[in-house]
Amino acid sequence: MRVIVMGCGRVGSAVAGRVAASGHDVTVLDTDPYSFRRLPRGFRGESLVGDGTRHRSLEEAGIRDAHAFLALTQGDNRNILASQIAKHIYRTPTVVTRVYDPYRAEIFGRLGLVTFSPTNVGADMAWAALVGSDDGGAGG
Amino acid sequence: MYIIVVGGGRVGRGLALELQREPDHEVVVVERGAERAAELRAELGEMIVRGDGTEVALLEGVGASRCDLLIALTDNDAHNLVACQVATHHFNVPRTIARVDDPENERLFRMLGVGETISAARAVMAQIEATLPEHTVVPLLPLHGSGLQIVELHVQPGSPACGRAIRDLALPQPSLISLVIGPDGEPRIPGGDTVLREGDEVIAVTPEDAEPQLRALIATPHAEPEEEA
Repeated sequence: MRVIVMGCGRVGSAVAGRVAASGHDVTVLDTDPYSFRRLPRGFRGESLVGDGTRHRSLEEAGIRDAHAFLALTQGDNRNILASQIAKHIYRTPTVVTRVYDPYRAEIFGRLGLVTFSPTNVGADMAWAALVGSDDGGAGG
Repeated sequence: MYIIVVGGGRVGRGLALELQREPDHEVVVVERGAERAAELRAELGEMIVRGDGTEVALLEGVGASRCDLLIALTDNDAHNLVACQVATHHFNVPRTIARVDDPENERLFRMLGVGETISAARAVMAQIEATLPEHTVVPLLPLHGSGLQIVELHVQPGSPACGRAIRDLALPQPSLISLVIGPDGEPRIPGGDTVLREGDEVIAVTPEDAEPQLRALIATPHAEPEEEA
């Protein structure tokens, strides 16, 4: 499988590391070369300086024969634009989009993107931890 | 008409100034930058709202669901696309217009239902083309979704079309010469027997990919006729 990860932040670098470790081809795209320091030691994928909202960068990263594209930058709208380019222009089979804003995550989910909102995920976990402690679980 | 403008940069400000003069329009300009928004507010008053025009909560606050037209004019294609899509799909805004900086994004914007796109790059290219004698097909207006565009050409001396009636021209199909403007500036709707003369200005509707054929036929001086049928 060929995977492109846009955004080499904490989440992007960790996901890229996992994809590479499980034996798949992965290319990480980021506009800032300094971000690649976050990749795990011995990372076997490729890292490429480029902007995932630009067709040229996506093509350099191999979007034409990629199986999956993950948009994981800090910018919701950048992630949404890049994902829609991958899905509609390059017909990438699997596109995953991080959207912090739960409203936009929901709207673009309805429009056919696979979105997840770290805000919702975080709130759910905080809530579960709180409820768990109420139940006399791990809390103290 | 209620119009929401997203982005209060030079373009957004200019448009707001224009629209302000028209009493029939209610206009709100959404600007994200605090300083910029304060400056605009001092100049234009209540119509300026500070915030992120791609956010549902903000758009709701300015009444996007009763908006007739949203125009996204930031210098960022991603923001402009998302503003238009949120307006269309969450607030059922009937019409959207987006500025597009990267010409490559124009196709995507249209695929995703943005009503109209404005490309500064394309406008500049058209202006330059118009001043170059060898590029005498000037794209005036793309007719989105149809693959057709309206173009302007000047009939060149010695071109295959010069001195001939329109019905005798091998126009690329399905092109149509819809207006001929003589050197006197008088526009006339041509018939099949209208003869094109040197210096005539021709307005035509043509498929985007037929432009080179049209150019060879009408706007290329002293050229050999190409592919005469």
